[in-house]
Amino acid sequence: MTAIIGAGIDRVDAALKVTGSANYPNDVAYPGLAHAALVRATVAAGRIRAIDTSAAEAAPGVLTVITHLTAPRLDRGPMTLLGPSPPAPIQDDRILHHGQHVAIVVADSPERARHAASLVRVEYETVKALLDLDDPRAEVTANPWNLDTDRGDVAAGFAAADVVVEGTYTTPDNTNNPLGLMSTVAIWHGDSLTVHDSTQWPHNVRTSLAKIFKVPESGIRVLAPYVGGGFGAGLRMWPHVILTVLAAREVGRPVKLVLTRPEMFTSVGHRPHSVMRFKLGATRDGRLMAIDADGVSPVAMEDDDYEPVSLCAATAYGCSHVRTRDRQVRLNIPCPGSMRAPAEGQGNFGLESAVDELAHALGMDPLELRLRNFAQADPESGLPWSSNALRECYRLGAERFGWSRRTPQPGSMREGRWLIGYGMAAVSYPAYQVPCQARASLHRDGSAFVRSAATDIGTGTYTVMTQLAAESLGLDVSRVRFDLGDSDMPYSPQAGGSGLTGALGNAVHLACRRLVGDVLDLVRDDANSPLRGMKLDDVTVDQGRVHRVGIPEQGEAYSDILARHGVEELSADGRSIPPRSEDLGMAVAGAFGAKFVEVRVDPDLGLLRVARVVSAIDGGRVLNEKTATSQIVGGTVGGISQAMFEDTATDRETGRIANATFGDYLIPVNADIPDIDVIFVGEPDPATPIGTKGVGEVGLVGLAAAIANAVHHATGRRIRTLPITIDQLML
Amino acid sequence: MRPFEYVRAVDAGQAVALVSADPDTSYLAGGTTQLDLMKDGVLRPARLVDVTRLPLSGVTSTGSAIRVGATTTMEELAADPVVIERLPFIREALLLGASTQLRNLATIGGNLLQRARCRYFRDPAVEACNKRDPGSGCAAITGFARMHAILGTSDHCIALHASDVAVPLVALDSVVHVQGVDGPRGIPLTEFYRPPGDTPHIENVLRHGELITAVEVPLLPEGARSHYLKVRDRVSYEFALTSAGAALVIQDGLITSARVALGGVGTLPWRSWEAERVLRDAPATRETFRAAADAALEGARTLPGTAFKVDLAKRTLVRTLETIAGARA
Repeated sequence: MTAIIGAGIDRVDAALKVTGSANYPNDVAYPGLAHAALVRATVAAGRIRAIDTSAAEAAPGVLTVITHLTAPRLDRGPMTLLGPSPPAPIQDDRILHHGQHVAIVVADSPERARHAASLVRVEYETVKALLDLDDPRAEVTANPWNLDTDRGDVAAGFAAADVVVEGTYTTPDNTNNPLGLMSTVAIWHGDSLTVHDSTQWPHNVRTSLAKIFKVPESGIRVLAPYVGGGFGAGLRMWPHVILTVLAAREVGRPVKLVLTRPEMFTSVGHRPHSVMRFKLGATRDGRLMAIDADGVSPVAMEDDDYEPVSLCAATAYGCSHVRTRDRQVRLNIPCPGSMRAPAEGQGNFGLESAVDELAHALGMDPLELRLRNFAQADPESGLPWSSNALRECYRLGAERFGWSRRTPQPGSMREGRWLIGYGMAAVSYPAYQVPCQARASLHRDGSAFVRSAATDIGTGTYTVMTQLAAESLGLDVSRVRFDLGDSDMPYSPQAGGSGLTGALGNAVHLACRRLVGDVLDLVRDDANSPLRGMKLDDVTVDQGRVHRVGIPEQGEAYSDILARHGVEELSADGRSIPPRSEDLGMAVAGAFGAKFVEVRVDPDLGLLRVARVVSAIDGGRVLNEKTATSQIVGGTVGGISQAMFEDTATDRETGRIANATFGDYLIPVNADIPDIDVIFVGEPDPATPIGTKGVGEVGLVGLAAAIANAVHHATGRRIRTLPITIDQLML
Repeated sequence: MRPFEYVRAVDAGQAVALVSADPDTSYLAGGTTQLDLMKDGVLRPARLVDVTRLPLSGVTSTGSAIRVGATTTMEELAADPVVIERLPFIREALLLGASTQLRNLATIGGNLLQRARCRYFRDPAVEACNKRDPGSGCAAITGFARMHAILGTSDHCIALHASDVAVPLVALDSVVHVQGVDGPRGIPLTEFYRPPGDTPHIENVLRHGELITAVEVPLLPEGARSHYLKVRDRVSYEFALTSAGAALVIQDGLITSARVALGGVGTLPWRSWEAERVLRDAPATRETFRAAADAALEGARTLPGTAFKVDLAKRTLVRTLETIAGARA
């Protein structure tokens, strides 16, 4: 069989995308399409005393203005895999955060809708908002996810340590900001509903809307064939989707809402800021004796978010005495939500900075310290890893980077006026998979159609699933079409948690295997078939044919079998079940990575430049070298962005986000990004048939710590607060 | 955005008459800032008079100066041979501003009139902004000040003038030529902008309806060396935290002529006569440059978020002067 898997084939949707033919939700048009605009609260806490919509209603082209006074009562969406749904919008006069939706305006053009929205007058009765993690009035939840860890005896561990380091690390709010503005188009036909949405999870939108609008799921179709990025912003069904669907029902026309960039900052989640403390103790020879970690993050007043920032300390290293504690504080803020590598992105910065501080305190090479504390088995369960090539990541990454050229003393490497720093960080990304379904069909000509209601948020899902199906069916990729992004297709979970490729890939693989089995069933008693009576294990598939293992002549083409049996189409479903460590006797592993960074610092002007990045990644089996590399490169850019640029600033007085535009919220430009070198190491993971471990998030994690550690190496200055900016580096 | 009427001017006289007659009418040139501000509801003109088709574009040289037509784009000016040869720090400042796409649209006249980048000015959801709504207060002073001024500020406004190219232009004693209903006049750029004082909504001395037609820029003397240095939070496509534009003539180690202006720190493009006084007739040494930088930042008033800019601005100016002196040596 030719190697379809792993080959860096071009994205199957590349031509559509570069020619502008891919139909993103905000491209969707219908005859009679009306356009919506939102009115948002300009205070962070209080009540709406009065809302005057008369000027807006009288404005040209306006079809309706819906406020809490006119909106129907709506149920809250259902409990989901990712926790509770956000509360339904505009249900009462309470304001819980600045930017909260208070009205939706529908008009015959986007410009008229926006103008009319600006004419809605709202009077507020304000109360002092809770905006600070330290506010004594704020409700604090200890151990909100029941994930706090107690392993061994931390006090005894520290007592046995020769060297102890402790630091407080803070990360700011970051906002996901996919390039594609989140968009929704809703069309009602009686009690049935079609919704085009920038979602990472069409089935969740379907289930949620069914509950909220009290209509059967069978009448709702959610379409998301192309999504302009997500980074987690599309995981939940946020209130603006509900408002659009409500507006469409109200005006009896299709309605489109495209969030503005400032609205993206308050409507679709964000990475919440965190304050973390990491304390590490080690023997003089670098053996970790104890880890004590705690973290605190904010959450919205009446919503939920998953950010156990200290948890990474429990699983990253072989250490017998570990304690982790997380707390969550309710504030008057837009609800945080998953942003690429939620919790890990923050926690790893603290942990891996602390490890670097420990190495410095020990006078030990940071790479050597990590090697000495490699977790031979899963520290939590004690089970052997299903796969773990972290040491190969260290070794090959260091080799590629030239880590051995690093001289240990901070400030000891320079070129002209630039101080040079080498820094590194490790990543142990948690494994995550949930059940997923796919359907595979063989057509009479021997081509195949495979689908699932998954999404491709730029990750390459279309392409790698096409490859997987082609391999599993023994077809050329040109003979396979994989489709997704439609809730009428078999159930798929969200594109998130680095879990979709594994879950969906295994479902596709199972569906295709079952389909081959069904082909064999057709010829079980077929005297004319050379495959008569054969079982799946007896055959292999190649070039559109099924043949006996090792005997290519003893076989026949799918098309011949289907034609002879008068079958127009043969379909089979596959459902993947996540592997369970306790069943396998192995700890199901996620991806691992080692990040090596060279920075240059101009200490006079405080300039920081990332000069080189090497990422060595164990992602299990790589399905497509090109799209997998692209994931790591994109994650690396996100990591540099987290380290040096992104900082959503909330006014302490008003709770307003002060930089909710791309003019003020900095993300890197091309000139900030150096060459990014990616190497994949490791083997297919035996926990699942396809052997892949997700690589959607491991690329981002570790960059912030590696850069901060490199800055310390360059300058001797330890930066414990992100982002790292000029004012912190003027020496 | 408030609905507005669009008029394409046929000649300068008509344009000036239209705008002068109506306080709700504004000019439209490149529109790179103006349209954003209109979409965000900060500017709400009832009518725009488009001057981009008027014959106000192009650079002409008189031997001792260049005359830059008001609708000359930033890219066009940066590519002008006389600018490249005789005014290189103007080219540097231009090419460090905005992006290629924006520079191909943005005009020199519009650049001088660009509005503040202050986050509080640019969001009408913020009530307190004396520049947008006189007498309403200043949210920036109590909010996040970083991209804000530390020189020329008042208790009413700390908004920055964010232009790069205005820095070398003000250092060169450029003259802004305008046409009004009462005829043309020339205004030295050093007198063109008004510090915020207690009227931050009035940013310059133009009367409503006066149209910038050209900017006259004296050439540097033979033997002068110039440099523009911009320090910012990312490598490209971002406004300055601090910048400096300077031109020196150094003879036998002695500075015989100095022009210095700062960006990123002033409520207006900040000409530093104080620094020039220190530099003139002084040896071209690091000590002199430091003394000049100290003098330039003498009157700085900072907030917690802008405190670092005093030191950074000094270092930026010292580096600029060192670069010029080094290039000379």
